[in-house]
Amino acid sequence: MKLYYFSEMPHHEYPDAEGDRYPSLRLAFPNTFFSPEIARRNYQRYLDEYEAADQAGFDGLMVNEHHSTPSCVNVSANMTAGILARTTRNAKLLILGNILPIQDNPVQMAEQIAMADLISGGRVLSGFVRGVGVESWWANSNPVHNRERFEECHDLILKCWTTPGPFRWEGRHYHFRHVNPWCLPLQKPHPPIWVPGTASPETAVWAGRMGYTYVPFLVSFEVARELFDFYRQGAAEAGRTVTPDKLGFLICAVTADTRARALEAGRHFVWRMGPTLRGPAEYFAPVGMRSRAASRFALRARGAPLSKMSYEELVDNYYIVADTPDAVAERFARVHRELGIGHLLLEAQESRMDHATTMRSIELMGKSVIPAMAAL
Amino acid sequence: MEPVALRAQARDVGLELIDARHLVPEVLHLVRDRHEMPVQVVHVIHPFRELASGGDSVRRSSPGAANVCYPRPVTPSEETIAVGPTRIQVLIGGEGDPLLVLHGAGGNRGWLRWMAKVAERHTIYAPTHPGFGGSDSADWMEGIDDLARFYLWFLDVMKLDRVDLLGHSIGGWTAAEMATMCPRAIDRLILVAPTGLKPERGEILDIFFYPPDELFRHTVLDPASIPERETLFGRPPTPEEAEIALRNRETTARLTWKPYMFNPRLPHFLPRVTAPTLVIWGREDGIVPVECGEQYRRLLPHARLEVLERCGHLPLIERPDEFAALVSGFLERRTA
Repeated sequence: MKLYYFSEMPHHEYPDAEGDRYPSLRLAFPNTFFSPEIARRNYQRYLDEYEAADQAGFDGLMVNEHHSTPSCVNVSANMTAGILARTTRNAKLLILGNILPIQDNPVQMAEQIAMADLISGGRVLSGFVRGVGVESWWANSNPVHNRERFEECHDLILKCWTTPGPFRWEGRHYHFRHVNPWCLPLQKPHPPIWVPGTASPETAVWAGRMGYTYVPFLVSFEVARELFDFYRQGAAEAGRTVTPDKLGFLICAVTADTRARALEAGRHFVWRMGPTLRGPAEYFAPVGMRSRAASRFALRARGAPLSKMSYEELVDNYYIVADTPDAVAERFARVHRELGIGHLLLEAQESRMDHATTMRSIELMGKSVIPAMAAL
Repeated sequence: MEPVALRAQARDVGLELIDARHLVPEVLHLVRDRHEMPVQVVHVIHPFRELASGGDSVRRSSPGAANVCYPRPVTPSEETIAVGPTRIQVLIGGEGDPLLVLHGAGGNRGWLRWMAKVAERHTIYAPTHPGFGGSDSADWMEGIDDLARFYLWFLDVMKLDRVDLLGHSIGGWTAAEMATMCPRAIDRLILVAPTGLKPERGEILDIFFYPPDELFRHTVLDPASIPERETLFGRPPTPEEAEIALRNRETTARLTWKPYMFNPRLPHFLPRVTAPTLVIWGREDGIVPVECGEQYRRLLPHARLEVLERCGHLPLIERPDEFAALVSGFLERRTA
């Protein structure tokens, strides 16, 4: 099983009481609390940590992108991938992912991913996501068109990568009369495509049909299994066999020299389970964004929301793993047994977890956890 | 009218009453098709309920009754009308010149108190927009101008050459677009708190950004003062009604998302409108600022603005009697 290092690049350097005064940390919390000086230091620090993860032997470095939120100030997954393409050597660069429906220029997206793939020597894993509603607000992209735009944007990117130009594209949402990108990926026919999921059965079925690697984020084993079943259903429709290499899972994880220190560090993940997800439903799932099937699935499958779980419950239920390296390896092995996955994505830094703690965790993972997982 | 009385009346004119409560719109459409025009399939619906709830229907009993002049019952009928391939539900009721009523983002709220008053002198046609209520979807539509073209087509289908036109909120915007596209089709125009113009100073509230209860507080000034509050808001919605409400919001988003709730080209076309126009606004409108009423008054060649004090975005139900009097007075001045 392969391990991936991931940080959301948070900007949690403000008084929490200030954030609590607004309906949500996303969209509503004023950016007057954003500090360019702090962010300048943070970006350097977060990139250093990614580079350390590469040197420690992580199989992949995952980057993502959000907007209008202190929970993630990585505002361009492709820009970060471009930097890491140059400053790291071995790890795959998992962009998970580009938010396709809010893109107005899929051709430029195809070029940017291709450029990162070229600079990295073919290490890009290209994730495509529909995004949470917040990003639709940020881009002022009609949520009613979210799924249609996701699929059309995907189709055009794939065509850019696989069909010689020039060609014309006139779809429902995207119109380009002269497509001929002079930047194509190194990997052929194109970088592997990954798709995350939290609630949408359609996305799981679609990913299965397309043969893409599918990764549920922060859900229970039970929900993950159900989503994998949808994935397998799609794969079967297309006559594909599902191997562990096509299945991943994302959890939060940190390790330390003692269990007590690890548990203390792990508390920083609670911020992303509650406060950063607080807000009106309209922010996260604006009208039209979610299909009826996804809404029903979300209602049925969720159980207690992450925000209502105690730290202990989050740890007990594998949303957070925080322990000594040996114990962490045991828990990862359990995840592997439960879900039959080939990729475990670790959100490995959060909130106010400091640089020293993060670096020590990376180092310890590299020394004993990653080798143990490689054997699975 | 009670079903029994209607059944008797139907028999008098050679009609047969059928219970269509179990029939889905598709089946009703077939019933209608089988009997060809001008057969009308009439549901008697309970006032204030969503149109999809069904009711008794009238159909022609034999081909020999082709020349029957169908009575327009005081109680409105509900018809399913095909405009091209898109079938929409239409409430029809009243006596007199035709008045087309286009609803707002909240959907078709049924036969309202103000309508009952205005229908004494006018035949009201109150369609449910495509993608709303029990009408067919039209996911190909991209904007309110599409809805306007759709309703001009509807007028052709209904053989209504010239109508009075009343629209509320996005229905008002639709009405304004129609009047710029085909001025000769509109006799008198009534715009009730219409969207469609970008306010010069304020903003149109982002109705998709707020939870329903908060949005309602912005929409209505004083819910307790609404005469129809019990029938309209007196109980939580059933699952079916909640689904319709969601569908209404999705279609509204589809038609109005960007630019949000206005057409930057509309002000350039409004001077084309020939119809005498009454613009009605609630002073305390929390959705569309009353300054937009001034803009409409200024841009339309023959417009007057009536602002109702202590009223929000829904003058039709917040102040139904005053509203009905304004509408009737404006429409009847033509004949006076």
